Amino acid sequence: MNSDLVIGMAGSGGDGIVSAGESLLTAAALDGYHGVMSKSFGPQIRGGESSFRLRVSTSKVLNSGGTLDIAVALNWDDFLKFGGELPVGGNTIVVYDSNTKVAPNQIPLVGVTPAEVLAVPIEQMAREEGGTDRAKNTVVLGLMSGWLGIGREQMIAGIRRRLAKKGDAVVDNAVKAFHAGLAYAEAHPLGTGRRMARPDRAEAKFVVDGNDLCGAAAIVAGCDFFGGYPITPSSEIMHFLGREIWKYGGTMLQCEDEIAGIGAVVGASFAGKKAMTATSGPGMSLKSEILGLATIAELPLVCVNVQRGGPSTGIPTKAEQSDLFQAVFSAHGDVIRPVLAPVSAEDMYAMTIEAFNVAEYYQTPVIILSDGDIGQRKETAEPIDGTKVELVSRRTPTEKELEHYVRFRVTESGISPISHPGMKGGNYLASGIEHNESGAPTANGEMHAKMNEKRLRKFAPLKRRRDLFVTEGGHDAPIAVISWGSVAGVAIEATQIALRQGLKVKLLVPRLLYPINEEVYQDFFLSVKRGLIVEQNHQGQLYRLLRMFVDVPRGVETLAKSGSNPITPLEVVERLRQLTWAMQREKTPEPSHG
Amino acid sequence: MSLATRRVEEYTAKDYKSELKPIWCPGCGDFGVVQAIYRALAAIGRPPHEIAFISGIGCSSRIPGYTTAYGFNTVHGRALPIAQGIKLANPDLLVLGAGGDGDGFSIGGGHVAHAIRRNIDMTYIVMDNQIYGLTKGQLSPTSARGRRTASSALGAMEAPVNPLLYVLGYGCEFVAQGTPADMNGLAQVIEEGIRYPGFAFINVQSPCVTYGLEDQMLKAQKAVMQKLETLGHDPADRLAAMALAQEYGTKLYTGVFYRNPHPEPTFEGLARARHEELGAGTHPRAEVLNVFKLRK
Repeated sequence: MNSDLVIGMAGSGGDGIVSAGESLLTAAALDGYHGVMSKSFGPQIRGGESSFRLRVSTSKVLNSGGTLDIAVALNWDDFLKFGGELPVGGNTIVVYDSNTKVAPNQIPLVGVTPAEVLAVPIEQMAREEGGTDRAKNTVVLGLMSGWLGIGREQMIAGIRRRLAKKGDAVVDNAVKAFHAGLAYAEAHPLGTGRRMARPDRAEAKFVVDGNDLCGAAAIVAGCDFFGGYPITPSSEIMHFLGREIWKYGGTMLQCEDEIAGIGAVVGASFAGKKAMTATSGPGMSLKSEILGLATIAELPLVCVNVQRGGPSTGIPTKAEQSDLFQAVFSAHGDVIRPVLAPVSAEDMYAMTIEAFNVAEYYQTPVIILSDGDIGQRKETAEPIDGTKVELVSRRTPTEKELEHYVRFRVTESGISPISHPGMKGGNYLASGIEHNESGAPTANGEMHAKMNEKRLRKFAPLKRRRDLFVTEGGHDAPIAVISWGSVAGVAIEATQIALRQGLKVKLLVPRLLYPINEEVYQDFFLSVKRGLIVEQNHQGQLYRLLRMFVDVPRGVETLAKSGSNPITPLEVVERLRQLTWAMQREKTPEPSHG
Repeated sequence: MSLATRRVEEYTAKDYKSELKPIWCPGCGDFGVVQAIYRALAAIGRPPHEIAFISGIGCSSRIPGYTTAYGFNTVHGRALPIAQGIKLANPDLLVLGAGGDGDGFSIGGGHVAHAIRRNIDMTYIVMDNQIYGLTKGQLSPTSARGRRTASSALGAMEAPVNPLLYVLGYGCEFVAQGTPADMNGLAQVIEEGIRYPGFAFINVQSPCVTYGLEDQMLKAQKAVMQKLETLGHDPADRLAAMALAQEYGTKLYTGVFYRNPHPEPTFEGLARARHEELGAGTHPRAEVLNVFKLRK
């Protein structure tokens, strides 16, 4: 029995690959399993190659795993295009459509001998039982259900629900195709068993993806306005709010460009509403100027960057974590702009609520650094109760303060009560121009310094927060792992494996990336001799950012890879083992030759 | 009468004048524009705190600060998207946008078309002086071909944008032109624009006394300007309006070029209807999480 399996499948766009993955995840979730499903596509609008990798587990998982346990290729050309995203190893069972006319000992996988290779008449079963080769994905669902022993009833119910609109004949054929796959699996049991053990508790869970959950969390947080422009891989946030926000009294405006998107959001915030925009790297570049306006005018807003491969158009369909420098440093002038990063799709809920709270409390734009993986992957999550949530709203002036209202009053905290149009007595001039306390434009150096000081000082409490860090391992461990964003899910699991293997490691994952809480890192590094900063970008951007603010021990190195080059938990564990050996060698004195 | 023009109590022009002293050059046309705005707002009678006045960057974009309304002097070219966000966030506000010809038809030119097609109820006043004044005299999008400026020492090679034809072409429902050379006429078209229930555009020939040309000054304008109403122009006739707008740069017409006699729905009006239809405000926000619940 297995407690944790990774299934990967690839085919052409029209094969319904992603919908098969989603059906499998949903059925597994209804059976009580945990799971994470990532999807990956070629650049084509329609057709082209398409794949998913789904990790099913009896306990909580934070990433879609490493080497596949079962690889399904509907055709080899498409499968091979995903390279390292669908890694096959010595323990993998390779299943492929026998219509590819490739003999099992001739499959085009170089340098690897899978545990089993099975040519299955997938298309033939789809045609004969399902009546169409479009039922290939349903046949595969039957195969998986049979071999893994999961989700049988749930999948049949799912097929009935999904296809109900298309009429009884279509439903019946699809169910037949499913049964054909199931029967095939039962008649051809795997030599190396892949049946799943029962989950820790068989309770149905939520299935979420980061983009939709971001939209939902925004509504829960009280967001009344979204302005944005379509861009992969963030558009689903706009789609979600375009469907849902109206019901709760909000407005979604698809703007003419990225600049107008954040412009409208700044306007809505000026008018007193909680507001959000979402984009990806190129859009962030365009929004930079207005982010600066929100900083100097001290207007709250949330700006989500669902990162993709860059620079420029880069690889829109693949996730990367290479916009950290941009998030932190793209402003002109002396600016601190809070940057938050969720570690999973589920975490997008907490981070979005947090982003609104920070934005409103500190009257500042807040950037959420998500990525294409967190944004678009589906994962099981514990049910979320949206009524139990702590929300912060901007501090508005009291009636007494409105008698002699001074918008940018230099207070002890640096935070000044903020009025909005419609509020009698609160009238003021907001501007991108430097201003005095009442809002009047000024070019006076002393006033500029005073206002800069106020705008930066107000973040002191945020900088001191220690609750926005995930930690694992012993306080005095000599080996460190630091990671952020979607790849943190890999680092967390790697740390847990390393700890089980007896390695002396500890982990730190900042969900608040900026401003840097220097104390948290200094304390963390006290015991550290060696370490690894794991991130999905080429330069090691967090590593370099930390070195700007903190004394990072010399033995700390990076495990940094460009997007679309998966980092797996076992790879991280291997590096940690090497670091441990290196540390031990250092400690052991060299034999003397005297 | 729309909500934006609901008269609440009596106000005079000076109630809209702030204490800030304008940075404009003595004799600048924009002094007249802000006076006309005070008068138009007094005629409408909304209290200053229910007015949001948004501008971009440029000499003329300083204008919100010289009023007692909630002002927002934003960044170059983006007054319109920001103003629209404000109006959609609070449709009860009276929203004014203002800026120069560079702000509206060069760096921010792309936003004008979309403000028009959304038809959000606001008034956009462009102070058109055919020059970049704040940056000290460069070519603007409405400068005439051949004009010599700091950035076109040997003469401009490109043709000017025609702001009137531009907005009419995109379907703007209220299009007018005024000049501080005729203060009554200017205050009147601004008031009419504000009263129009949709996106209203007003081009103001506001001369730059420092970098402008002699024939653009108020004195010269007074000699050539012609009121559209005296020409017998029917403002309900869009094609006639376009024919007259064609003469931008050669003739100085003042008054209303076009006013749609059958106003199209506004974005915020449609939004309000959608909110009512969906029972907005009656659903607890936490309900949105139900979409993630698994269905058996």
